[in-house]
Amino acid sequence: MTAERREGSTAARLARAGFSDPGAAAPALESAAVHGIGNEDELLAALALTADPDAALAALAELAVRLPDAKQLADALTGDPTTRDRLLSVLGASPALAEHLLRHPEDWRAMTGVEQLPPSVLRRRLLAAVGADPDARVPTAALSGSIALDALRVAYRRELLDIAARDLTGVVRVDDVAAELADLAAATLDAALAVARGELPAAAAQCRLAVIAMGKCGGRELNYASDVDVIFVAEPAADTDETDALRTATLLASGLMRVCSATTGEGTIWPVDAALRPEGKAGPLVRTLASHVAYYERWAKTWEFQALLKARPVAGDPELGRRYAESIAPLVWAAAGREDFVIDVQDMRRRVEATLPADARSRQLKLGPGGLRDVEFAVQLLQLVHGRTDERLRSPNTLEALEALSTHGYVGRDDAAELDRAYRFLRTVEHRLQLYRLRRTHVMPDDEGELRRLGRSMGFRGAPVEELHEQWRRHAREVRRLHEKLFYRPLLTSVARLGPAEARLTPQAASARLEALGYLDPPGALRHLEALTAGVSRRAAIQRTLLPVMLAWFADAPDPDGGLLAFRQVSEALGSTHWYLRLLRDEGAVAERLAHLLASSRYVVDLLMRAPEAVAMLADDAELQPRTRDALSAELAAAVGRHETPELAVAAARAVRRRELFRVAVADLLGQLDVEAVGAALTDITATTLQAALDVATRSVQSERGALPTRIAVIAMGRFGGAEQGYSSDADVLFVHDPLDGADEREATDAAHAVANELRRLLGVPAPDPPLGVDADLRPEGRQGPLVRTLASYAAYYARWSQVWESQALLRAQPVAGDRELGARFAALVDPMRYPADGISDAEVREIRRIKARIDAERLPRGTDPARHTKLGPGGLADVEWTVQLLQLRRGADVAGLRTPQTLAALGAAADAGLLEADEAMTLAEAWRLASRVRNAMMLVRGRPGDSLPTDARELSGVARVLGYPPGAAGTMVEDYRRATRRARTVVDRVFFR
Amino acid sequence: MDKQQEFVLRTLEERDIRFVRLWFTDVLGFLKSVAIAPAELEGAFAEGIGFDGSSIEGFARVYESDMLAKPDPATFQVLPWRSELPGSARMFCDILMPDGTPSYADPRHVLKRTLARAAELGFSFYTHPEIEFYLFQHAPEPGQVPAPIDSGGYFDHVAHGAGHDFRRDAITMLEAMGISVEFSHHEGGPGQQEIDLRYADALSTADNIMTFRLVMKEVALSQGVHASFMPKPFTEHPGSGMHTHLSLFEGDRNAFYEAGAQYQLSKVGRAFIAGLLRHAHEISAVTNQWVNSYKRLSGGGEAPAYVSWGHNNRSALVRVPMYKPQKGNSTRVEFRSPDSACNPYLSFAVILAAGLRGIEEGYELSEGAEDNIWELTDAERRALGIEPLPTSLTDAVRAMESSELVAETLGEHVFDFFLRNKRQEWAEYRRQVTRFELDRYLPIL
Repeated sequence: MTAERREGSTAARLARAGFSDPGAAAPALESAAVHGIGNEDELLAALALTADPDAALAALAELAVRLPDAKQLADALTGDPTTRDRLLSVLGASPALAEHLLRHPEDWRAMTGVEQLPPSVLRRRLLAAVGADPDARVPTAALSGSIALDALRVAYRRELLDIAARDLTGVVRVDDVAAELADLAAATLDAALAVARGELPAAAAQCRLAVIAMGKCGGRELNYASDVDVIFVAEPAADTDETDALRTATLLASGLMRVCSATTGEGTIWPVDAALRPEGKAGPLVRTLASHVAYYERWAKTWEFQALLKARPVAGDPELGRRYAESIAPLVWAAAGREDFVIDVQDMRRRVEATLPADARSRQLKLGPGGLRDVEFAVQLLQLVHGRTDERLRSPNTLEALEALSTHGYVGRDDAAELDRAYRFLRTVEHRLQLYRLRRTHVMPDDEGELRRLGRSMGFRGAPVEELHEQWRRHAREVRRLHEKLFYRPLLTSVARLGPAEARLTPQAASARLEALGYLDPPGALRHLEALTAGVSRRAAIQRTLLPVMLAWFADAPDPDGGLLAFRQVSEALGSTHWYLRLLRDEGAVAERLAHLLASSRYVVDLLMRAPEAVAMLADDAELQPRTRDALSAELAAAVGRHETPELAVAAARAVRRRELFRVAVADLLGQLDVEAVGAALTDITATTLQAALDVATRSVQSERGALPTRIAVIAMGRFGGAEQGYSSDADVLFVHDPLDGADEREATDAAHAVANELRRLLGVPAPDPPLGVDADLRPEGRQGPLVRTLASYAAYYARWSQVWESQALLRAQPVAGDRELGARFAALVDPMRYPADGISDAEVREIRRIKARIDAERLPRGTDPARHTKLGPGGLADVEWTVQLLQLRRGADVAGLRTPQTLAALGAAADAGLLEADEAMTLAEAWRLASRVRNAMMLVRGRPGDSLPTDARELSGVARVLGYPPGAAGTMVEDYRRATRRARTVVDRVFFR
Repeated sequence: MDKQQEFVLRTLEERDIRFVRLWFTDVLGFLKSVAIAPAELEGAFAEGIGFDGSSIEGFARVYESDMLAKPDPATFQVLPWRSELPGSARMFCDILMPDGTPSYADPRHVLKRTLARAAELGFSFYTHPEIEFYLFQHAPEPGQVPAPIDSGGYFDHVAHGAGHDFRRDAITMLEAMGISVEFSHHEGGPGQQEIDLRYADALSTADNIMTFRLVMKEVALSQGVHASFMPKPFTEHPGSGMHTHLSLFEGDRNAFYEAGAQYQLSKVGRAFIAGLLRHAHEISAVTNQWVNSYKRLSGGGEAPAYVSWGHNNRSALVRVPMYKPQKGNSTRVEFRSPDSACNPYLSFAVILAAGLRGIEEGYELSEGAEDNIWELTDAERRALGIEPLPTSLTDAVRAMESSELVAETLGEHVFDFFLRNKRQEWAEYRRQVTRFELDRYLPIL
């Protein structure tokens, strides 16, 4: 009865103390009591503070059993609260260390120490553990083989116990823990080297070997479980041949690595990773100092210098290590002057974010957005940029470097403090996570129990899981925000007066940073920043919060300077509207898109300058879908209907067109439309604009002459007819009319001419909107011929005079505006010409080939490189289109699919019908698409049309970026273009000229 | 400014160098040089020296002619010849576009790009060329039959021959320029010389070949004779080839070596040879780029005319030399078609690319040839599946035209220029009425 009640109350007390399985814990508590361990209440209170009371208690009970004499332990647990808390916290937080204790029960005494151990003591202890004399100039282990390996593992873990115990009880801060772990690693490397040395063959040549720690060990900010990154440097001892010495050194280095990483009965320590060495895994494991220096002078990449920021000699020959450090440092600090630095840095930034699979991102402490890597990377980059001129910034340690950057005004003090807090938090979580099994992991568990334990180990005891998540999210968000601000925000301080906690970047430092970020004209950029942020208005205040991120986005685009200037212009135009800045501030995606567009496309900037309010479109993806032809027609009809005079009506239509061009250009630049969709959308815009202008022109003529005695249709030709327009395409058209029954033909023709001329006049009235050229040169007799003909006149002309090249042009005739029925009759009229029943004659085929050959030779402008001409060059648009058109003329009558004005559709049909091999069709289509995309991209980038790939380097790289190439890859783009067109040309030679 | 650059600037000061020659190579393999004063060098290191690319064969057309030559300080070398007083020095340059990116027209970049591709597969490429050339008594004059400096034969030691002095001086000067020479002997034709450059990575070797050709011409000039790398100056004597030994290393390990395999040749080595053989046709226009090159290939002897390989078979296109026991790292293959007048950068690039293609695609190597291929009948060769190499420049150009491998390796720009230039050369050659025709037809027709 009594026993039951006590048991019940024990269970309740256990539950209150945070035990999750009181039933299992009660016997353990009993068993601990048997060994005289402690007053139950105090023990329970102490257990309640651990990460996992169940596990801690179970391990404690087991430990008591394993100790031959548990009395001292019992005494410590009752009389020495410090030792008790340390022991219990380790048992609760780390099954891995608990297991070590159970194997080596006496090691619990390691946790009785009071203070932090200096590196020299750790080194002495570990060397002593393998029987090496710590005072020897070249310590050599007396132990060898598995005995040495076991001894080193036990000694290492004993020290780890001590560090973990003080860490978990809050005696040392996270950065000191990390530093001690690095010191322990250094001591371990020295001891491992002593073991390796003890195992050298007797005849081995003399050498000196220094171990340089890189990464977290180099920065004295190591984790509980991570690879230790090292580089080895060796020199022959006096009178030794270099080759022999290097052979010995390689034996030593690989021996050292094996000693640390091998798995024995006592487990493993950590893998030693030497992959950061020159040439990576392909390079020799050990190099001489001169060889290291030569490599970094000649071959190294920017990221390797970033890695070298953390190089620190930690073991082996101290004098050689020091010489290494002294020789390498100047190279590191010159890295920011390297030619590809800016591109490399941008690459590295992107790579950090891009390499993670999306699902892993959300649980990643290290590499996820707002993770540890973000902080480290930002700090290192700022060090590389400013450390060149300011030696005070050269610490290999992240937090120390951050503090130096803040103290000396390179980043804001508040920002730095915030980042420091977040970094410490993330590192603490990482430590606790790894301590559990001493495994190298950076991924948050998703198991509820593990999260609970992790949360408790961080000291969240109320609702551990929720608190942990809440804190983590907050800090990650903060890091994310700061990561961007860190770079760009201080730039503003060099031109604007901000709060007292802000950094005061000097103009020189600001210029250096802008330059490193890819701005070509830092003084200009600073002037724009000054204009945007000057004053105390709300507007300036919002700009000051916006600009740091905007600057980052400009820097990622092809033309940061142009983007910033355009942003200033748009902001000045829209600054006083109520929604503009709010939209940018509150809708993150809008600001980012705007920055990307402004710094990529002159065309978009030009459109936007005339009507900045179109910015609003960027807020909504649905807005970026091209409008359907029907919707456009309806809106245009309404727009022209609202205006009295023809000029104003057409101006309204052109304004609608401008907005729609903006929509398509933006969707194109944001990668939402492929080249065919762009062609269709632009064609819709042109067709509906023409229809609207035709309506206005008709109205205008009717107001003078009365009702028209005829019906008019507009036939699209060329790329317009094929629904393949680009940004720079004119509207190629034919005008056809058909007098009403009983109308005087002469009068009808005059009226039709008046309408066509009025249409052209109205669309050509000078206006701020992009012009729409209407080109009717493909009409019978060309410019000499009448602008408008009756259907009957077309029929008569084509019947009597037509040439094969006219049939070819008619392949792309497609009615687009005016009288539908008349348009259809026109199409029916020309069908027999363009798809002749028996194909075309051999003489006509020859004629087409001859014309094409002459065009190849004559039409190219003088001095142009044919290979770069997108229209007339080999494998360019004309080559592909003529090849397709020849097939259409020959076989259009019997292959239905060929009867289309669209190049790609006809190409597909030709392949389906076996007129072309599938791979030939693919080659032609690829070249045609690429050439079309290049033409569009040239217009987007420069705001003016072009036929040849730009020769200006900046424009060319802008085009490459719009086509989706990474920075610095303009050469690759030209190469790809030339390859695609060369291949197309071989198909053209085979198919067209055969 | 890095250490190497500082070293260069310091040396200029200490050695009283008055001129620095910036060297680079045009697409056809001619050495180009821009001389600058030491004061301009710092700027050249930082930004490169601007020059008009349209004046260089194959670099650029007029409208995009601005280019930069950026010296590679690791190639700094004081020039030892006496005619260069006061002191002058040279550096090889990389050619850049105005925005600082490498020019696709630069042969050195073509090779670097191909080497980088090999590096991605974990290989570094080493070459060792045996360069043959002739010494003549006089500089060439139109219409004159060239006179060789002696009439010695293979391995003859001609007492006090001009050739002997020449070789001594040449080797001294090469060594002074940091170019190690492995072996030299008198080749088969009168006045013919051979000097072997020691094994080095392909880029250094190509730089060294460019230097070597110039040094030979300089030394010859100083002795009043004339050196020529023309592939085949005499109908009746052997041509000047550049047999090149090739090997791939993975780190410190020779990737061609496998203990116990046939000829100690690894799978990688066999696939590399298979790549060389399969693509021999299409790379021929690069490794043998002149009309005259094909006179050498048709001439028999040590010059290969057929696509085949063999162990120690001196008539084969690819020869696997005798293996030296205990020297696993010496396993190599010898590619025998290139001639001394090729562009070494482009040639090494296409050779490497052909071999790598064999490795990547796992080409199988057919049986090697044991016989002297010259002595087989056409039918025998057909039976053995031995195809001829192109027999003329126009054949070679046609084979190259449809080669994606060569286009990819050279890059579209160089590929296009090279083809146009070679078609032009062939067209000019075809119009010529030759000595052969006059001698044969004039008397009888």
